[in-house]
Amino acid sequence: MTIALKHPFGIRFKLVFLSSFLLVIPWLGYRYILEMEDYLRRGQEQVVLGTARALATALNERPELFDEGTFGPTRRSENLYVYPIYYALGLDDNTLNDWGDYQRYELSYGRANTIATPLNPQSEFSRYYHNDESLNFKLLVGEHNRFLYAYINVVDNQLVYRSPDSVSIHRSDFLQISMTAPDGELMRYVVSPRGPEFIYAYEIGSDLRDIGSLRHEERIVGQWYENLDGYTIELRMPLTMLGSSLGFAVYDVDDPATRNVTAVVATSNVNDIERLGALQRPTPEIDKIVEGMGYTDSRIQVVDRTRRVLLSVGDIQNATGLSLTLPEDAEDGNRYLRILEDRVLHPIYYQILTKPSNDFIDELYVGSRLEGAHLSSALGGVAQTQFRTINEDQTRILEAAYPIYADGEIMGAVVVDQNMNGLRTFRNQAMETLFNTILGVMLLVAFGLFFFASRISTRIRALRNQAENIIDDNGRLKNTIIATTSSDEIGDLSRSFYNMVERLGQYTSYLENMSSRLSHELRTPVTVVRSSLENLGMVSQDKESSVYIQRAEEGISRLNLILTNMSEATRLEQMLQTSEKEKIDLVKVLAGCVEGYRLAYPDAVIDSDLEGCVMINGVPEYIAQLMDKLIANAVEFSYDKKPITVFCRAIKDRAVVRVTNYGPYLPEKMKGRLFDSMISVRPQEKQREPHLGMGLHIARLVAEFHQGQIRADNIKEYEGVAITLVIPMLD
Amino acid sequence: MARRIAIVEDEAAIRENYADVLRKQGYDVQTFANRREAMRAFDLRLPNLAIIDIGLENEIDGGFALCQSLRSMSETLPIIFLTARDNDFDTVSGLRMGADDYLTKDISLPHLSARIAALFRRQDALNQPTSPENLLQREKLVLDIGRLTIQWDGHAVPLTVTEFWMVHALVKFPGHVKSRQVLMQESKIFVDGSTITSHVKRIRKKFMQVAPEFDCIETVYGMGYRWNTQMIGGGDVGIDGSMASDAGGGDGGGGGD
Repeated sequence: MTIALKHPFGIRFKLVFLSSFLLVIPWLGYRYILEMEDYLRRGQEQVVLGTARALATALNERPELFDEGTFGPTRRSENLYVYPIYYALGLDDNTLNDWGDYQRYELSYGRANTIATPLNPQSEFSRYYHNDESLNFKLLVGEHNRFLYAYINVVDNQLVYRSPDSVSIHRSDFLQISMTAPDGELMRYVVSPRGPEFIYAYEIGSDLRDIGSLRHEERIVGQWYENLDGYTIELRMPLTMLGSSLGFAVYDVDDPATRNVTAVVATSNVNDIERLGALQRPTPEIDKIVEGMGYTDSRIQVVDRTRRVLLSVGDIQNATGLSLTLPEDAEDGNRYLRILEDRVLHPIYYQILTKPSNDFIDELYVGSRLEGAHLSSALGGVAQTQFRTINEDQTRILEAAYPIYADGEIMGAVVVDQNMNGLRTFRNQAMETLFNTILGVMLLVAFGLFFFASRISTRIRALRNQAENIIDDNGRLKNTIIATTSSDEIGDLSRSFYNMVERLGQYTSYLENMSSRLSHELRTPVTVVRSSLENLGMVSQDKESSVYIQRAEEGISRLNLILTNMSEATRLEQMLQTSEKEKIDLVKVLAGCVEGYRLAYPDAVIDSDLEGCVMINGVPEYIAQLMDKLIANAVEFSYDKKPITVFCRAIKDRAVVRVTNYGPYLPEKMKGRLFDSMISVRPQEKQREPHLGMGLHIARLVAEFHQGQIRADNIKEYEGVAITLVIPMLD
Repeated sequence: MARRIAIVEDEAAIRENYADVLRKQGYDVQTFANRREAMRAFDLRLPNLAIIDIGLENEIDGGFALCQSLRSMSETLPIIFLTARDNDFDTVSGLRMGADDYLTKDISLPHLSARIAALFRRQDALNQPTSPENLLQREKLVLDIGRLTIQWDGHAVPLTVTEFWMVHALVKFPGHVKSRQVLMQESKIFVDGSTITSHVKRIRKKFMQVAPEFDCIETVYGMGYRWNTQMIGGGDVGIDGSMASDAGGGDGGGGGD
């Protein structure tokens, strides 16, 4: 048997390897998504540019909008100029840092701005008005993202807060905010804290002493905090609250005992709707137009020729362009799947993908002037879009600038910005879905293929094992193949193997039975000849012819013996099938046999080496028959006067019987086939009697009937042959 | 009047050779090549003895069927199977069909005629009183050499002629080992050793049907068999002896109906 070289790469490995080409599919998906992102980006570019064009068109031919004088910061103290601010302001940081550069636009209000007239002729305050040099404040009003921001930095030598149990709001330092509502009505609010705190604004009625008419206005938010010289108020209110006028008044109470207002500094007469200062927003017209566009998903800026930003709507952080509504399926979806996705998959994915953050700072805008190639191009008359990457590659901003013309002159430009985070997020989601799907499909396919390949290789291996087990070491058929019913090629192979083995089996059994059949067929003509000869012998009295008749009869007898021997094995096999085993002591049987052989072969020296009690399950007659054959064989080949030894022992759980004789060695190549039918190694001169080589074949049949094995070996120590029979013992 | 012997054998040469020999010995011999012909003749008149081959022309087991039919016609008609089939299975089948003997074609013609003569003698002897000089007694065993019958403890043991001669050979010298070769010669058959073994087994079984504790035939492995006079069990013989005694012929009779 040659040991088949194990292939290092089995079917399983090959299939899995081939299936790895499926990885092209996720790559194609990845390419597709990138392509789509590109298209979407171009689309976004066009949309942004379109927005800019539309706005620019609306602003065309209106040079007055860009008139420096109309909208510039004014020195008139009653009116408040609202600066556009380009970044979000924080109200909760106790400092004015985030106002940054704008702080240089703050205006001071002091003695000159003290309202000399009684705030309210009917009020009791009227008699207290006098100037107080110590009270003054600096004010800055800005606008960002549809909110009005303001800070008031008050210098006050004596801070007097509302006492904790006081309900009235006018017996401490307080701030009054007056404005006209969009419907033109005068609205007055008071911020009168009990200490440095987040401001709590009250809307007041006609008399601020009337506690009953106080109503909390929650749209005004901000903080009151102290500083070295006095206090600062930062506040914010939505622009929708505001009409055309706005004014602030700071009331000062210096004596905590009397708690009378000693000074008031105001931006204008905050109690008179006619004299309330105007709210000057830089570009109300443009604002309206932009508002009219109703576009909030971008940051829109209008820039004049000097690149000064006249208007900025929207903030770039939220201008994602694409609005994405994420399906909130966290509750519906499988929790474990989501955990898997969040904990395992996403960290892997985001090794490759960049997650855009909205926490970027647009550094392009220093001060209130806008930079950039797109703007330069637009101011040069050519609309342009550009992508800008900020925040270390994480965020891309799409910017489009479109020129505004008036009288054939470029008056300014509309700049529309969008960050690409929306698109990026969209892409990432698509990628996640793609990766998840691909991962699932790949796992499924891989497992499927692996299972399939395992199944196939298992089946093939099973078939191979069956095929290897068909023929034993002596080349005899011992098993058949179980034909499978599966209809595929392996099933086909198995069936054709089965057919092959069947045919081979038929042929083998034909060969094995040939001697028996032959003897059977020959018997009839032999009988014809013999009976004829016998008849002849009875009839003929001739002496000469009777000699020939006798010779012929001898020949016939020999022929008969041959025929009988030929069918002996078959007969034995048939008998073995119906025999029942019994419990026998092998040593006793062998001892009897040896006694018999000593009588039967008086010339031979037969030694016995039998010990103990070796119980086996067997048929003593057949064991004796086997021994007959072995002894006959040994006697035949033994050198004269050399002993033949019969040995029997229980070795482990097996009975070992060995018959050894001095005699010529067996030819090496015959050793394995010695026990096959019709194999004889006798030299020609030994052929005194007909020999068909059935003896050892019968011995093997008997050995196999007892689940034993028989083998022949040459003896190393001396020239001789040992035939060993091993039979399993009874428990 | 000459005894009539029917030979049913499809091989003409063998058939005629046997017929010639038997005719020379004074028998009236009818020959048939197949079962149909034989049955037609047997329906008219039964022979005194029938020699039947098992395979008849195209009927593989035609001989068995013929044997059954004959046995149903006559309980006592001696029937001999003479066939080329020498396996145990066919032997057992043949004897169960009610045949008196089962011979293979190896047998020589003198042996065959001796056997035929023995069967006729047995048949004749059944009708005559037993002559004491022909009796051989070994304890419970009584052999009637003239009638070729055996009794064990007064019960008949239905042995074929071959088996009778084997037992006779063993019993003649109790305690002596008889090799298979000797038994073959004594029973005038020529087979191989394993066939002797199965014959002996069959003899033991027949005795054990009469007396379950029978173990007088001892196997001496490697040598042969001997008759053991020391009966260990002894004693009573079961009543199933009579039932067992017709088991040999009963099957054939029943089957023919």
